[in-house]
Amino acid sequence: MIKIERRDETSNIIYFLTPVLAIFLTLITGAIIFYLLGFKPLEALKFFFITPISDLYGLSELLVKATPLCLIAIGLSFCFKSNNWNIGAEGQLTFGGIVGGGVALLFYNHQGFYVLPLIILAGAIGGMVFAMIPAILKIYFNTNEILVSLMLVYVSKLLLDYLVVGPWSNPEGFNFPETRQFSDSARLPILFEGLRIHTGIFIALISVFLAWVVLFKTYLGFQIKVSGLSLKTAKYAGFKGKTMILLVFMVSGACAGLAGVGEITGPIGQLHRMISPEYGFTAIIVAFLGRLNPIGIVFASLIVALTYLGAETAQIFLQVPKYTGQVFQGMILFFLLASDFLLFFRIKFLGFKKYEY
Amino acid sequence: MNTKLKVSKVSKIYPGCIANDNVSLNFESGKIYALLGENGAGKSTLVKILSGVINPDEGQIFLNNKLLKLTSPKDAKNNNIGMVFQHFNLFETLTVFENLSIDSEKNNNQLRILVNNILKKYNFKIDLDVPILNLSAGQKQKVEIVRCLIRNPKVLIMDEPTSVLTEQETEDLFLSLKKFSKEGILIIYITHKLKEVLSLCDEVAVMRKGKVVSISRTIDEKLSSLANKMIGEKLEKIKKVTSNNLNREEILKVSRLNFNSDDPYEVNLMDINFTLNKGECLGIAGISGNGQNELFQILSGETLSNNGSIKFRSKEISKLNPKERREYLMAFSPEDRISQAAVPSLKIYENVALNNFKTSNFFERGLFNERKIKDHSKKILSNFSINTDNVNLKSQFLSGGNLQKLILGRELITSPELLICFNPTWGLDVGAINYIHQTLIKINEQGKSIILISTDNDELLQLSDRISVINRGKLSKIMSAEEVNPEKLGLLMGGGLVD
Repeated sequence: MIKIERRDETSNIIYFLTPVLAIFLTLITGAIIFYLLGFKPLEALKFFFITPISDLYGLSELLVKATPLCLIAIGLSFCFKSNNWNIGAEGQLTFGGIVGGGVALLFYNHQGFYVLPLIILAGAIGGMVFAMIPAILKIYFNTNEILVSLMLVYVSKLLLDYLVVGPWSNPEGFNFPETRQFSDSARLPILFEGLRIHTGIFIALISVFLAWVVLFKTYLGFQIKVSGLSLKTAKYAGFKGKTMILLVFMVSGACAGLAGVGEITGPIGQLHRMISPEYGFTAIIVAFLGRLNPIGIVFASLIVALTYLGAETAQIFLQVPKYTGQVFQGMILFFLLASDFLLFFRIKFLGFKKYEY
Repeated sequence: MNTKLKVSKVSKIYPGCIANDNVSLNFESGKIYALLGENGAGKSTLVKILSGVINPDEGQIFLNNKLLKLTSPKDAKNNNIGMVFQHFNLFETLTVFENLSIDSEKNNNQLRILVNNILKKYNFKIDLDVPILNLSAGQKQKVEIVRCLIRNPKVLIMDEPTSVLTEQETEDLFLSLKKFSKEGILIIYITHKLKEVLSLCDEVAVMRKGKVVSISRTIDEKLSSLANKMIGEKLEKIKKVTSNNLNREEILKVSRLNFNSDDPYEVNLMDINFTLNKGECLGIAGISGNGQNELFQILSGETLSNNGSIKFRSKEISKLNPKERREYLMAFSPEDRISQAAVPSLKIYENVALNNFKTSNFFERGLFNERKIKDHSKKILSNFSINTDNVNLKSQFLSGGNLQKLILGRELITSPELLICFNPTWGLDVGAINYIHQTLIKINEQGKSIILISTDNDELLQLSDRISVINRGKLSKIMSAEEVNPEKLGLLMGGGLVD
């Protein structure tokens, strides 16, 4: 007989060390996979995790990719901490991009300091409104937010598809599925000449700080924490449950919308079909890898961003598909969940016990 | 064929409680047996042993003189013991037939013929091809019964089957059960409803605190004699001094309170009326699952009730949530201290912060004032003699008694005008119980009021000034504690009437 029991107490240090263990196990498994594919494991891992960030350009690329991941994951942590399972950040990102992009196109021949803030605001509101749909449906019709938020991803992606092919496509663009280039006033300023890293990173860092303050130092954060641990207790304490569902979805949607608008006004500069390499889904991994803790999320976003870069270098140097990046992301989540299970439960081998009468 | 089921010297001990203490019973087919007892009397444990869900520590079970090995529910099934539990085990979205075919070895055609025959024989009107969720509670129960009948049971055990049924459905069920019994199925009927025992059963075994206290024929029994046996006659009153009734200041008035739930397992409340005076303790007795939960949640504001139904010091509060009610100096101590009143994985001071209102200043301008909350928590720990002074301790490391003291302390340190508590001493040791009883008496003496919802009759008789009984969502008339005796209480709890 095997018995699985809940452990009484888990130490805080181990709680934050298990993600490190998960990453370590991912590396080992990754090495084995590369070996089975016929590569030298260490060399392959080096291409994957070291080569991409061995120069300034690589480091800048890492931050470019980590910025949206961090921003979205921060927003998601509000939802996940309070037991609201928003997995539609990709859709909120896309819709934020659409709304922000729409404003950018409206002002494509305007110059002025006011253009960029307007676009960013529009993007945040777009993501926020889009995230309110699953929240409101959950509050009033008791729908499952996992399904609704996920399905809305495809709605926003198809809407974007329609817009860039149809009404918003570039009139001088030879029917390519993309919009005009945004004007210079509609672009996030570049930090260093020749690198793609842009001021969007400050938006992410500010949101990390604000999230930390809200989650750990305010009444709202306390309510989110209690609701996540026990909805019954939250009800008994008289927290306004419905308002909170709406609020966490709004925060989460706004962050995803900001990430979307950061992409189109940052590295991309226009709207096209592929404004996000599934940042919204990958950020779910980032949020959990960072233990839903704002500081943890910063580190987690860097590590997961590295898998994006590694996949690209591996594609070039090892001729493996870039989807290897997703394999690594999947492995990280798998090992994290597995080590969490052992963190919270212990397995007891009892031997075979005979029943006696 | 005659079926004999013998339970011989069965004991089951849980840490801190003897669920079954040397239980011996004999059953024979052709009769309907009642197993009667209060909550925690040990009925369910015995039933679970008979159905193979749990293993007894000692004792044997014989079916027709053959020793039974019941190590899993499957063993019970294979030995032709059928069970219908209080809560249905059906897949709501599957059809009736699909539900029946899940655990049947027969092929679908055979099964359909068999089921149709059973339905015809007992005049059950159920469409086999509609999903379970479209059925009424009574019909769902019939599906469960059919599921047992498919296997030609020798023994059929019904665990509190009428708690979700209407009057008409109950009558139907009794007719069917009598039919089964005539056909030679041995029926064991578990209940706490006295009337049902008298109208349905031939013999009755009464259990109290894990022991069988009486076995008798129902024709020799009356409602009152069964009530006495179920509750026990040893109830004594070590009552506190009755509060000075000169002070007739009304604190709480509940009038025409109705509650209809969407959840079939919740109890609807019907026309609840009572008033509570300053310094008074109103006890609400009843067998659990008769609406106590719902009443507590409505009084605390977790569930909102109809307009105008609750007035606190003549102010309408029925639409206020628990936090807003706390501002009026009401305090609440729910039954479930581990998953509702407190969060075990939170630290003591964080659990204290759950009871937050404006004057406590725990959160100034929305910010968490950790120092203030910790000082406040320290005061609770020392004032309510909780055996730790570490406010950073996670609450899961407190014993049940200390956790309950912490919860009561958190609720009482703000000197509320009214405390509503639900089974405050459930599962605690004697020392903690005493402490909590003394605390409750003390706050009554200070002129604060209490509503005590409890399933512990000793506690109610000790602490209450007036007592009412809740049964199937209705409150009995409110009696002064002096005129209450165990017989009256038992009758009202079992659904009988008193004068």
